[in-house]
Amino acid sequence: MAKVSVLNVAVLENPSPFHSPFRFEISFECSEALADDLEWKIIYVGSAESEEFDQILDSVLVGPVPAGRHMFIFQADAPNPSLIPETDAVGVTVVLITCTYHGQEFIRVGYYVNNEYLTPELREHPPLKPDFSQLQRNILASNPRVTRFHINWDNTTDRLEAVENQAPALGCGAALSCTPVKGLGLPGCIPGLLPENSMDCI
Amino acid sequence: MKLLKPTWVNHNGKPIFSVDIHPDGTKFATGGQGQDSGKVVIWNMSPVLQEDDEKDENIPKMLCQMDNHLACVNCVRWSNSGMYLASGGDDKLIMVWKRATYIGPSTVFGSSGKLANVEQWRCVSILRSHSGDVMDVAWSPHDAWLASCSVDNTVVIWNAVKFPEILATLRGHSGLVKGLTWDPVGKYIASQADDRSLKVWRTLDWQLETSITKPFDECGGTTHVLRLSWSPDGHYLVSAHAMNNSGPTAQIIEREGWKTNMDFVGHRKAVTVVKFNPKIFKKKQKNGSSAKPSCPYCCCAVGSKDRSLSVWLTCLKRPLVVIHELFDKSIMDISWTLNGLGILVCSMDGSVAFLDFSQDELGDPLSEEEKSRIHQSTYGKSLAIMTEAQLSTAVIENPEMLKYQRRQQQQQLDQKSTTARETGSTASVAGVVNGESLEDIRKNLLKKQVETRTADGRRRITPLCIAQLDTGDFSTAFFNSIPLSGSLVGTMLSSQSSPQLLPLDSSTPNSFGASKPSIEPVAAAGTRPAGDSVSKDSVNATSTPAASSPSVLTTPSKIEPMKAFDSRFTERSKATPGAPALTSVTPTAVERLKEQNLVKELRPRDLLESSSDSDEKVPVTKPSSLSKRKLELEVETVEKKKKGRPRKDSRLMPVSLSVQSPAALTAEKDTMCLSVPAPALKLPMPGPQRAFTLQVSSDPSMYIEVENEVTAVGGVKLSRLKCNREGKEWETVLTSRILTAAGSCDVVCVACEKRMLSVFSTCGRRLLPPILLPSPISTLHCTGSYVMALTAAATLSVWDVHRQVVVVKEESLHSILAGSDMTVSQILLTQHGIPVMNLSDGKAYCFNPSLSTWNLVSDKQDSLAQCADFRSSLPPQDAMLCSGPLAIVQGRATTSGRQAARLFSVPHVVQQETTLAYLESQVAAALTLQSSHEYRHWLLLYARYLVNEAPPAPEGLACCLAPPHDPPAQLFLQEFSATYAPSPGGAPTPCWSAESK
Repeated sequence: MAKVSVLNVAVLENPSPFHSPFRFEISFECSEALADDLEWKIIYVGSAESEEFDQILDSVLVGPVPAGRHMFIFQADAPNPSLIPETDAVGVTVVLITCTYHGQEFIRVGYYVNNEYLTPELREHPPLKPDFSQLQRNILASNPRVTRFHINWDNTTDRLEAVENQAPALGCGAALSCTPVKGLGLPGCIPGLLPENSMDCI
Repeated sequence: MKLLKPTWVNHNGKPIFSVDIHPDGTKFATGGQGQDSGKVVIWNMSPVLQEDDEKDENIPKMLCQMDNHLACVNCVRWSNSGMYLASGGDDKLIMVWKRATYIGPSTVFGSSGKLANVEQWRCVSILRSHSGDVMDVAWSPHDAWLASCSVDNTVVIWNAVKFPEILATLRGHSGLVKGLTWDPVGKYIASQADDRSLKVWRTLDWQLETSITKPFDECGGTTHVLRLSWSPDGHYLVSAHAMNNSGPTAQIIEREGWKTNMDFVGHRKAVTVVKFNPKIFKKKQKNGSSAKPSCPYCCCAVGSKDRSLSVWLTCLKRPLVVIHELFDKSIMDISWTLNGLGILVCSMDGSVAFLDFSQDELGDPLSEEEKSRIHQSTYGKSLAIMTEAQLSTAVIENPEMLKYQRRQQQQQLDQKSTTARETGSTASVAGVVNGESLEDIRKNLLKKQVETRTADGRRRITPLCIAQLDTGDFSTAFFNSIPLSGSLVGTMLSSQSSPQLLPLDSSTPNSFGASKPSIEPVAAAGTRPAGDSVSKDSVNATSTPAASSPSVLTTPSKIEPMKAFDSRFTERSKATPGAPALTSVTPTAVERLKEQNLVKELRPRDLLESSSDSDEKVPVTKPSSLSKRKLELEVETVEKKKKGRPRKDSRLMPVSLSVQSPAALTAEKDTMCLSVPAPALKLPMPGPQRAFTLQVSSDPSMYIEVENEVTAVGGVKLSRLKCNREGKEWETVLTSRILTAAGSCDVVCVACEKRMLSVFSTCGRRLLPPILLPSPISTLHCTGSYVMALTAAATLSVWDVHRQVVVVKEESLHSILAGSDMTVSQILLTQHGIPVMNLSDGKAYCFNPSLSTWNLVSDKQDSLAQCADFRSSLPPQDAMLCSGPLAIVQGRATTSGRQAARLFSVPHVVQQETTLAYLESQVAAALTLQSSHEYRHWLLLYARYLVNEAPPAPEGLACCLAPPHDPPAQLFLQEFSATYAPSPGGAPTPCWSAESK
């Protein structure tokens, strides 16, 4: 069973100018002390067309996590405008918050984000080159899309053996591997991350 | 009779495999398939019973749903007390649920508002043992045991007061076991399986009483379940699917001689479920008719694969009612209401039906007193058939009853203090953590949030703990040694004084108990309302109409449901609610402590049985090619991560048959005349039992069986010792009764009456003439070729029987058992013959033979351990993997430390110092215990910490280096200097290379 369940994500300072940082207050509950840290990520979907415009705004480790309810604020800088296709600068896109444990993603919270110009004039006649400083970001906080995945919460033997066989190295370097992700989490949309039910939690 | 199909009870069209009505009749649970997991749902009963309630939108229909099972749930069962819900499913797990009282209603984040869980049920135990789908679970009368059966062909009996302890695994079925039922008198349990047999097992020794096969010979196709049932008067057992003249029946089996002469006939397809009404009935007295006393009778519902339901009265030859076409698919489960007038039926088609009978139709139910009078007249007095009220006043006729009464008293005390705690905390209105309201915390969270960088430069946030879980596990005496500040002190002390004592008693009905002291010990009292307001917030955020502002911390309305629940809870158990004043807690706690000591005295075996030689083998590191073996390892490792003392829990499972014989009473007498002039200290002694079995190790499988006074030769009674090692068996006889036995892979030893200790090789050769002990035995242990004897006079001896030398010679425990009320809670003998005593005050000492001293190796209350935070130096996956004697005695105490550091914001420098001191003491302890693996682990940690935190010149390092004769440590040092030598700046390289030559 999942050891961590997200109780709430509050979107702070919303709406806000495009360049101001994202700020989420995340509360979660842990049923059993975790041996390792959770890794949270904020992913900004630059363009609905392609995953290559996804930006990982930030990733942070959270721990130690004993059993109980916890909260923290996850703050990440605004997306880099130069990586966003000009055609997609204005309009609706998506921001994702994901959490992984031992490199396995177990929850994905998606929010629709609407970027639009503040003044009616700009709205009517948007400049050809988007003026990000005039854009306002509005996260549709009332309607998060949450997808949960079953993962293996316990260490597998393989992992242990791997550790045992290594020289006692300094390596705390869990590879920062990021599967490119897309879209709001409806289970079927993410081929690589099917919410599988086969997790063996003996 | 009224029939209703409440369409709102569904699992979104997925099959419902099980239904069970809560004993108080206010709710019921269903289990089955969920979206992509198993699903358990708790429903409100009143909308089923009353149409008005069904229409009233303010009355919730669904109370809670749990998606935690990974695969389909086959069975849900409430405990008789109603406090717990057990569920078993295709994921091989049994989960035990308990209602969490501290949180109010909350929504599931991300789902639309109406899916709110009105009640919070939390999984308090996960029981893992079955290797296949769990098909049925059943609580014994009085909730002492929980039985589960599985497609792995076994039935497992769990100790319901001490999950996840397994009391017995019943093997004998050769097919999938699909149904269970307890005898209402508690003497038997019956199981039905696909192997065309129904087996009845005795609860006295968990052996097979009888196996009934004849009615099942013709049984062909399989049913999903075979839920059989025992009649409430105990006379009849009714099976599911049986055949008679090629017609499907439900076989009636008589308790008297297990005769199978009658059956319920009429269903066209296999019977899947039989369920007796919990009530016994008598004929309704009609006005004017003669008051002729009629024979009491029972009522039974039968469900079948043919989608129909029949209800029978044992006084009628024909069914009372048959309902055809009730469902589209097979009936899966039936549950009666406690008043015996209603039943819920569920089906594979995903729907549920409710039948409501009147007393005119069924008859007058007998009262509980009348029912127990029937039981008593038939079976005599026994534990299971007495009501709680009777039991507390009854004359104790057997040891079971004594045990029960003690347990009851303790539970009442527990409840009292819990109530006091609850009331106390509500009164002290403190929505504060460290003197701040949750709102303040939220405002400043970003500023105050502790953010660090890991060694590889990544951001790491320490989350703020806003509430701890209400599962009743707390760390031992956590707050004793930590300076507290502000308003926190009062609330915490009041709320935690009783749980602090909990882990002292190893038999506490606490699923995690002392072995898992890692729960966040934040002020329970203070944060409870805070938790409430968080959930309120989540309601707001998910766009449900928000009634109240989130900033209100303690409105009475929010607390009321909790109170209501508590008071009901207390009434049920007939305990008087504790006084709301905080002061009342302390006396209760003290009383409890006394009580516990008493209990301890009474059950020496239970307590002292807990350690073993197999603790020592460390299989995790062994590379293994066999996949099966690997799987086992995996299991063990997982277990290890779960609990602090893994080896003991996962592997040992002492098969203790506590068959109390009259001999037990004479034990005291025997020792009186034998013992040397009584010293001040007196440890509990095992009494002679008629027979017992002891599992030495499971791989290789080895167990010892003892039978006392089996054969009489010329008036002399002999006792038999049998040892079975991987199928090879030997036996021998001894002239006096065997009190206790122990074994290892090298030796088997037994302690007999008259202070005799005999030692055999594992092949059965006597290694020594009997050793005469200075006083009667208290505990006996073997590890490798070492034998340890702890006598009742609190002296300890350890011998190496192969080399025939003494390791520890009659060393007194006086020095460590100084306090009068202390006891030895766990004993351990390491591979190197070093004895370790875990005491009830949380301290652990090992005896250092070379210095002849007792060395303190662990202290649960050690403030160093609690402040030390070396997590940054742990290799990522290696967190708690180190196993060995030190890990066993210390449990997971180490994890709590970080929390302390975090909670009370110890200055960084202080924390560094304490961490260093702690690590050093760990290194020294591992060295004294001669546990090279752990020594390596801690030394490595220590070194890492030094490098990471880079304090000035690590003098300490030089002192803790390995002695030259310790090869693993030497090896490690080389590795270490190789790894660390090139590291630039601040690393203490010179120091290392100098010493590691």
